[in-house]
Amino acid sequence: MSNSKRITLQQAAEIIKDGSSLTFSGFTIWRRPFAIVYELIRQGRKGLHLIEVNGGPQTEFLVGAGCVDIWESCWVGHELYGKYGANLSRKVGKKEILVEDYSHAEMLFRFAAAASGAPYAVTQTSLGTDIHNPAYDTLGRAGLRDGKRFPKQKYVFTDDPFFGAGPQVLVPAAKVDVAVMCVQQVGEEGTVRVAGQYYSDPEAARAADITIVMAEEVVPEEYLRRESDRNTITSFEVDYILECPFGAHPTGMFGRYDVDGAFLKDFYAKTRTQEGFDAFAKEWIFGHDHMSYLDKLGWPRMMNLRANTALNYSTGVKRGQ
Amino acid sequence: MTRDYANPEEFGLADLLCCAASREVQDNEIVFAGTGLPMVAIMLAQKTHAPNLKLIFEAGTLDGRPPEIPTSVGDARCEMGASRASGLYDAFSIAQRGYVDLGFLGGAEVDEYGNVNTTCIGDYLDPELRLTGSGGNPDINSFARRTVFIMVHEKRRFTPNVSYITSPGWRVKKWPGGEFVHRKELYGAAFRGGPSAVISTAGVFRFDAETGRIYLDTCHPGKSPEEIREMCHFDLDISRVSGETLPPTREELHLIHEVLDPEQIFIPKVKKG
Repeated sequence: MSNSKRITLQQAAEIIKDGSSLTFSGFTIWRRPFAIVYELIRQGRKGLHLIEVNGGPQTEFLVGAGCVDIWESCWVGHELYGKYGANLSRKVGKKEILVEDYSHAEMLFRFAAAASGAPYAVTQTSLGTDIHNPAYDTLGRAGLRDGKRFPKQKYVFTDDPFFGAGPQVLVPAAKVDVAVMCVQQVGEEGTVRVAGQYYSDPEAARAADITIVMAEEVVPEEYLRRESDRNTITSFEVDYILECPFGAHPTGMFGRYDVDGAFLKDFYAKTRTQEGFDAFAKEWIFGHDHMSYLDKLGWPRMMNLRANTALNYSTGVKRGQ
Repeated sequence: MTRDYANPEEFGLADLLCCAASREVQDNEIVFAGTGLPMVAIMLAQKTHAPNLKLIFEAGTLDGRPPEIPTSVGDARCEMGASRASGLYDAFSIAQRGYVDLGFLGGAEVDEYGNVNTTCIGDYLDPELRLTGSGGNPDINSFARRTVFIMVHEKRRFTPNVSYITSPGWRVKKWPGGEFVHRKELYGAAFRGGPSAVISTAGVFRFDAETGRIYLDTCHPGKSPEEIREMCHFDLDISRVSGETLPPTREELHLIHEVLDPEQIFIPKVKKG
């Protein structure tokens, strides 16, 4: 029983099929499951539908590599290390990808709805904006709204039927095939303990049909169950687990390592063009496995990123000018 | 109270914007911070005139008092000192519940009613340039009582028609038709306010309480109202200018550069030469 959820990095990527809908743990440039993202690119996955509360470098890598047909979210960039998502922007310009824009809170509430088994959420955000412009319903324009894989409508506008509070917008539950998480600790049976802000991880894990958890370390279940009030995701919500140290690099992980800002800056600068992306992928992804990737990054770099255990972030990284 | 204002050669434009933004915060307010200069501005307010403000980071840190400036709102530096560190569900539920007094936001384009675009330049269906997308901009702008936008001032960015309304101003589109209505009409019981100021690299702008139309309030040192009007594609109201934007004080400059952002992550130091 104890090892039944354990899989390898290759197997984790194989669970995600061509055409799957997919979401991730983390927030912008923190706790993204990069080792699995790189493996998906190596395996040449196609036709993915990313549904993200917010995007980030993981979006940019998958989009740049041509793995993604549809991106449904609200934001993509590298925070301080790259103003916007240059790969997504390029593919939007060339009409090689469909983008469905919601607001950040709408995306979050859509995941919360899916996580609680509700078909939709109700909110008062973003009223009067072009996010609600019926002409900008990308999936509808593409004829994809079948009421099965894709919700029949992007929005429904209504009025509060209970308290007369006026205009409301209904947003469809974010139903996803697979959630790929990257966390500090997971137990042998799947219990997850996230340290620091847990972002929208609980909603993402519960919304997905299949949840894969990649952790810095797999720890004894008994250890996590001694203080169950500190745990974030329940054992039976998790289908597969794997251990992968530094699996979030170049994004950061609270208490473990900082964001590798220099790496993200370099990626942003070099991947404005498809040729640039292909060269970057050739250097850092293809022909590597996770260990040779870490080897290429090197000990000095990783030691510098390592978090101070009292502060939970690195005191060595150069952040400013 | 006499204040020890710095001389023009002692500060840069980023210092001026940071201090102007900081002065928009009142004590005891609950403030929603985005990544960047606003984080420095809010923490500056926390260390000066608003020691009891409560800071919310969108990624899920509530009533934060970070000992070091976070690089982004998801940063591991957000948690220490906070009342709670949790997630987005808490941050957005609290905002929608009506706790938030003030939010700081950015934008690529703004129109004269405070509608802001961060999504694309050109036709949405065939854009010249796809930008980052909305992020939490429309959410904070929908939920907070006041929002302040900090923007680079270029003529093309101050336009009568933004390419895409990402974030709602005072006159917004009523769907499905898309006709412009006053924000109050659309938000019903959820109406709490809207954009209260734009702090650009040229001046500070505010919005008329009745019409929601933008006007120039103060000019940054060295800029005239007429010059700033020329820097807008819409017809800027310069009849209500109250004076010059107040410079940073020496205490504020000390806090920005020695305490809050010594690494110059967001605010470069003026080179003394």
